[in-house]
Amino acid sequence: MLALDYLFAGLALGAVAALSGVGMLVTYRATGVFNMAHGAVAMLAAYLYWQLTDPWGVSKWIAALVVVLVVAPAFGAIVERVVFRPLQRRFASPAESLVATIGLLVLMLGVAHLVWGDQARHPASLFPNDVLHPGGLTVHVDAFADLGAVAIGTLGLGLLLRLTPLGTQIRAVVDRRDLAELSGVNADRVAAIGWALGSVFAALTGILLASQLSLEPFNLTLVVLETFALPVIAGLTNIPIAVAAGIALGIGSSEMNLFSPEPGPVSDIWNALHANFPVVLLLLALLLRQRLAQSGGDAGIATTFAQRRAVEPSIPMMALQYGLAALALFAPLLLDPVHLRQAQEVPALAIIFVSLVAVTGYSGQISLGQAGYAGLGALFFAKVSGDTPELFALLVGVLAAGIVGFATGYPAIRRRGLFLALTTFAVGTFVSRFVFQQPYFTNGVTVRRPSVFGWSLAGDHAFYLFELAMLAIAFLIMYNLRSGALGRSLVAIRDNEDGARAVGVDVRALKVLIFTVSAMLAGLGGALLAQQKVAFDPTSDFDPLGNSLPWFTVVVVFGADSAAAAVAGAGLVVLVNAVAGQAGAYLIIVGLLASFLGRLPGGVAELSRRIVEWVLTPRALIRRYLADTAPRPAPVLSPQGRAALERLRAARAERS
Amino acid sequence: MRLEGIGITRRYGGLTAVDDVSVVAEPGTVTALIGPNGAGKTTLFQCLTGAERPDAGRVLLDGRDITKLSPDARARLGVGRTFQRLAVFPTMTVADNLGVGAENRTRGPAALRVGALLLGILGFPIVDGARHQRTVDETLSLLRLDAVRDVPAGALPTGTLRLVELGRALCNDPSVLLLDEPASGLDTAETDNLQHVIRQVAADGVAVLLVEHDVDLVFDVADTVYAMAEGRLIASGRPDDVRAHPAVQAAYLDVTAGDR
Repeated sequence: MLALDYLFAGLALGAVAALSGVGMLVTYRATGVFNMAHGAVAMLAAYLYWQLTDPWGVSKWIAALVVVLVVAPAFGAIVERVVFRPLQRRFASPAESLVATIGLLVLMLGVAHLVWGDQARHPASLFPNDVLHPGGLTVHVDAFADLGAVAIGTLGLGLLLRLTPLGTQIRAVVDRRDLAELSGVNADRVAAIGWALGSVFAALTGILLASQLSLEPFNLTLVVLETFALPVIAGLTNIPIAVAAGIALGIGSSEMNLFSPEPGPVSDIWNALHANFPVVLLLLALLLRQRLAQSGGDAGIATTFAQRRAVEPSIPMMALQYGLAALALFAPLLLDPVHLRQAQEVPALAIIFVSLVAVTGYSGQISLGQAGYAGLGALFFAKVSGDTPELFALLVGVLAAGIVGFATGYPAIRRRGLFLALTTFAVGTFVSRFVFQQPYFTNGVTVRRPSVFGWSLAGDHAFYLFELAMLAIAFLIMYNLRSGALGRSLVAIRDNEDGARAVGVDVRALKVLIFTVSAMLAGLGGALLAQQKVAFDPTSDFDPLGNSLPWFTVVVVFGADSAAAAVAGAGLVVLVNAVAGQAGAYLIIVGLLASFLGRLPGGVAELSRRIVEWVLTPRALIRRYLADTAPRPAPVLSPQGRAALERLRAARAERS
Repeated sequence: MRLEGIGITRRYGGLTAVDDVSVVAEPGTVTALIGPNGAGKTTLFQCLTGAERPDAGRVLLDGRDITKLSPDARARLGVGRTFQRLAVFPTMTVADNLGVGAENRTRGPAALRVGALLLGILGFPIVDGARHQRTVDETLSLLRLDAVRDVPAGALPTGTLRLVELGRALCNDPSVLLLDEPASGLDTAETDNLQHVIRQVAADGVAVLLVEHDVDLVFDVADTVYAMAEGRLIASGRPDDVRAHPAVQAAYLDVTAGDR
């Protein structure tokens, strides 16, 4: 084929990518929320379209119009009303909104999984699949149809933003929501429109893409999610740049077909690069960019969903809690073999969750790539344990994960909030695509359970005890991270990074350190997870979408700053899956909880603390109530803000 | 130590917020920076603390060029600061807020700090807890914060939090102390106490530099005053001289007239 043929072939993919990127940008511009659930909206829309056209026999154009122009905007508006308005109302940080979108993503994945299962579907293509040959070239009609859809969508959007009052209002709301509201802009309506528009673009993306790829819950969602390279390249602001980057991405990816090296290492690398072009682009864009225009200020730290209670519980109370927890952890040893095997997943998963508590709860850094570290721990353990003692191999696995964590810590020094979240997700996806999915690394990998000084841990009881011992080590490290000067310095960074810098807290060293320690813990948990299953299965255990994001969500929902709550979370995940008899069953519960984090600050941990407190001493509740209603400090405005507020008040007084 | 800004210039696009301004904070004295809104005080202040990089000019600490150092590196050399927009640690108690200051005042090399971190993770903290505790207790009583010692900072009013921030900076044992609007949100009694604290800190040999709107406080407490308007230095010297300076009078009258 000619270079020109590839150019036309790349157009179709590029156009759809652009459509997706523009959709994410629209929601972001109108609401200040980066919608991680964008890919899931596209996926659900594609399923709905398939359901309407295939089993129910609705004509494809009617089905597409219903999904894109009726269902999608209604869905977007409802999501804004139910999930995001409460968050905005209590001035939640962008980090909390981000978690809510991840919760939504997890919820939608769970629903799709439940309703349609894992089986791949093949929806009908909206546009004809005809191929024309003008002048010897090969031109696909649908490529141009896709391009047309992008052109219409983008132009319409550009006109809306530039020429209508709504566009001005959107820009005002994004700049300063409070001031825009003072001057009479209905910020809620603007946000609802932003969500509706974003969903329309997502639905269109999903329907167009599903006919080019096959339709599975995780696959399609991840492909769409990867296009957030485009908003990042566009600096989260410039729509034309996002479109151009999308088209360039499609064409560039297609043109890579021109070069096919001899079979060998070079060709392996080249093919991996080609197949994962968007991921490479995403990681490069995130690493090369120095800053990202984050709206809503720099309040990207995770303080609000990691509320450390200043007053520690009393010693008998703690003894009771830890006694009960220990009892619960040892109880599975009495179970029958089948259930004991299921319960073995709990300590392994708990260590991974605890690693997230270290990075997110204790020091306020968002990490969306934890499955990458866990998988590296498992993979290196499996590789090295072939001809060395297993405990040594475990150490190598933990160190390998730690090295990648160290490397992620460096970009984390200057990045916060959304920027950091996207970077860690990109790193996790990169590791998954370039290590876990490469036959060179994973072919013929076998996992076996360790033996300690000649004492085999292959038996289920022995292995479970070994896991508990590892969990105890993880808890010891967590205790050290939390106590004393080190713990206070980490919380200082979480609470206020500028404040921590002002007294000489070495933010750089601490961030790198916490990412390294967290990755090492995750690597340990991942290795145990693989040992427990006696298999290295990256698709079901170490997937960036299917594991990293749900894991993070579980930890936040259960209270990000509580290691004990993380263990409870692991228990619940395993229990729900076991009861439902399905691996993805927990996604729905956790997704629902995360979506409503706006109404449940502090997560399940905070809720259960309050309940226990109430049962034990109603007086404590009264005190809490009194503390909650104590007058809050007045907001601190900058001189400019104060002046602007004065002007607005004066203008209002004049009008009335 | 002596903190010196030489020929500091900072531009934002076409706007020159600070235009070739030089200031000195001498040890054992209180230096104040005044000027109407938009005069460039805060920008200059940010250049001195390291939150902003000047486009031209240098920042010297006892003759050592620290222009390119990050805020935390400057703090480790002994440059303490407070914030106009509060930067306390809301989930920690007041005592812990000050504790972070006390615990991070090691002025040793980076290897020592990293070593201490690693030992901390392994469960062998090498911190002299009793000494830090003493520092925190003394500072709490100096600032009259004993009553709120165990209250989470997030639950306290702005005026108290200004003092918490000051206390955190003091526990860090600074040689230079930069205060950004320390009296805003304080009542009269608190302002009087603040004045007393600032004098005492300076008497201990610290170079204090403050940016302040409360002109009465400035003229009461400062040994040297720099007045800025529209990004430029318009007057400097002893408080009485600066107050009487025609350019300062004009700048303040102008603004007062514009505000009303």
